[in-house]
This record gives sequence, structure tokens and C-alpha cells, in this order.
Amino acid sequence: MPQQPVDPEAYHQSVERINEIFGSMMVTVDELVGHRCPYKNRFDQCTAAFGCRNQRKAREPGQLKVCGADDKLDYRSAWQDG
Amino acid sequence: MPELNDVENQFIRQEIAEFVERPEEKERLITLFARVTPRMQQIAAALIEGENTEVDRLTRAALDDKVPALEVMDEGLIAGMGIVGIKFRENYIFVPEVLACARAMKAGMAHIEPILSASGIQPLGKVIMGTVKGDLHDIGKNLCIMMLRGTGFEVIDLGVDTAPDDFIDAVEEHQPDLLGMSALLTTTMPNMGKTIDAFIDAGLRDNVKIMVGGAPVTQEFADDMGADGYGKDAMACVSLAKDLLGVSARAPAAG
Repeated sequence: MPQQPVDPEAYHQSVERINEIFGSMMVTVDELVGHRCPYKNRFDQCTAAFGCRNQRKAREPGQLKVCGADDKLDYRSAWQDG
Repeated sequence: MPELNDVENQFIRQEIAEFVERPEEKERLITLFARVTPRMQQIAAALIEGENTEVDRLTRAALDDKVPALEVMDEGLIAGMGIVGIKFRENYIFVPEVLACARAMKAGMAHIEPILSASGIQPLGKVIMGTVKGDLHDIGKNLCIMMLRGTGFEVIDLGVDTAPDDFIDAVEEHQPDLLGMSALLTTTMPNMGKTIDAFIDAGLRDNVKIMVGGAPVTQEFADDMGADGYGKDAMACVSLAKDLLGVSARAPAAG
């Protein structure tokens, strides 16, 4: 037996809930990027695929490099396109 | 009134106890997760952990067992994303973790989309997104993609360092309504204009609307290089995409 059809109105309400959550996240992004690099994860590791002067040696082999930025200076000037 | 112990999934219980501080949010989440099935709690937990293969597997299994698609979407995926949003707002997690959760959500939605389509609910439009040649910065693009998908657009992500010919090939293959280009560096920003010129040379410029964005990009620059629109951030990108396609906030549905 196939899936029951989805009610478009109920689907719209679901999309609105997603938009509400994501919209609130974007407000946080705006606040955050003023001082913390968006590539820096919760373990203070750098997830960028490019070079940055703030990258430090990984804690363990095979791990991501550690971000050495202090979250106070403008990190963007440290980004390189390499 | 349900209590935290009424939530069966231990991981979800811990997440609520550890990361949700506002009493009204805690109450709302306990009420929600105490009501939803353990199976949906499991999907939410996998999404919060950013485990896209697990979300993929659990979502497919639930739908195979005839759990209604909207139940999976609302009580599994969106319910989990609600906790992700709170953890992000309170700085327990950051942008890379949010994007991992968004990828997990996409993995689940991939199984729901055919059911939506069969119900006559079509995407708002098809968008190709990529960072231009020479540029490896992808966070802004990825946030735009997350927002576009959340709004109901189908998005094909070409990734970073995308050459003009790759954009052209993708447009010819996928026939999108929109093409989005991003650049973070002033040195790579001109490659947006070169890509637009390549579309003109290939006789394809009228086949697709082109929007651009990225930290150094301005409306004036977008106008000068002949883009159809400029978005300063992910929210603006969604508004622009809707404007360019002439869709209203509640439009999509009936296809």
C-alpha cells in the first residue's frame, strides 16, 4: 500500500516551521560572524578547505587543525585562497 | 503535564536537560517529545548529532513501514532541528555543526520529496549554486543552500572552485530556473562576470536567471556584470530567489 498523499496546507505549515527555525539561525549567524570565524567548530577546530594563518597543528594525527584565533580580531584578513 | 522522564529517548532527554534553558522552551519540547513515537525521537536524535547516514536509514525505514511522511518531517526532522536551533542560539554549537545537521535533514527529506511530488506538491523552483573559480570559501553558499532547501527549493550544489564551463554544463544538464554564484575574495569576484559572459557567449544567458552574493559583492557590482539580482545574505538570497521566479511566500504546492 503506497503512502497516503500529503495535505498541501499541512505541508505549508511544516515549511513555515522550518523557516522560523532557520530564520532564527540566520540572526545568530549575523551576530556570531562579527567575532568568531564561521569555519570554527565547537571543538575549536578549523573546518575550512583553504589555508588560514590562524590554523594550528591538529591535536591528534588525522584530526582537523586547531583554530588559534582568539575570537576578538577580524579573522577574515587571515584567510588565504590556497 | 508531561515530565522529562516521559521522553523515552535518553539522548533527547539529555539534550533537553543540558542545553534548553528557557522554561517555556523546555516545557514545549518535553510536551512534544513525550507525545511523539520513540521512532521519531530516534530520527530527531540522529539529526541533532548530524548523522546523515543514520537519518537516511531511519527515515527510509519509517516511510517503508507506512509512517506518514508529514509525521516523519514534523515529529522527527523538524523537531530535531528545533533543538539544533536552540543549541546554536545559545552557542553550544556553531555554523559547521548546524550545516552538518542541515545535511542530515536533507538526507531525510530526500525520501520525503517523492511523496510530496506524488501528492502534487512541487518545489518552488530548481536552483544551481556554486562558488566561483579560484574561490574555496563555501560557508555563505552553504547557508544559502540550507535556507533555499528549507523554503522548498530544489538545489543542486556544484561546490567550490567552479569554472564557467562547469556552471554551463550544469545548467544544460539540469535546466534550472536559477543560478546562484558566490565569491568571498575580491580577487575571485570578477570570475562571476566572466561566468556571465560565458553564458552570453554560449547563447544560454536567457535560459536562466543569475543571482550573486558574497562578502565583497555589492548591488552595483552585480548590476555592472549583468546579474539578475544580488543578495547580501542567506535570507536575502531566499527573498531574491522568490522574487526572480515570481513566487509568493505560500505559493509552491499544486503541480
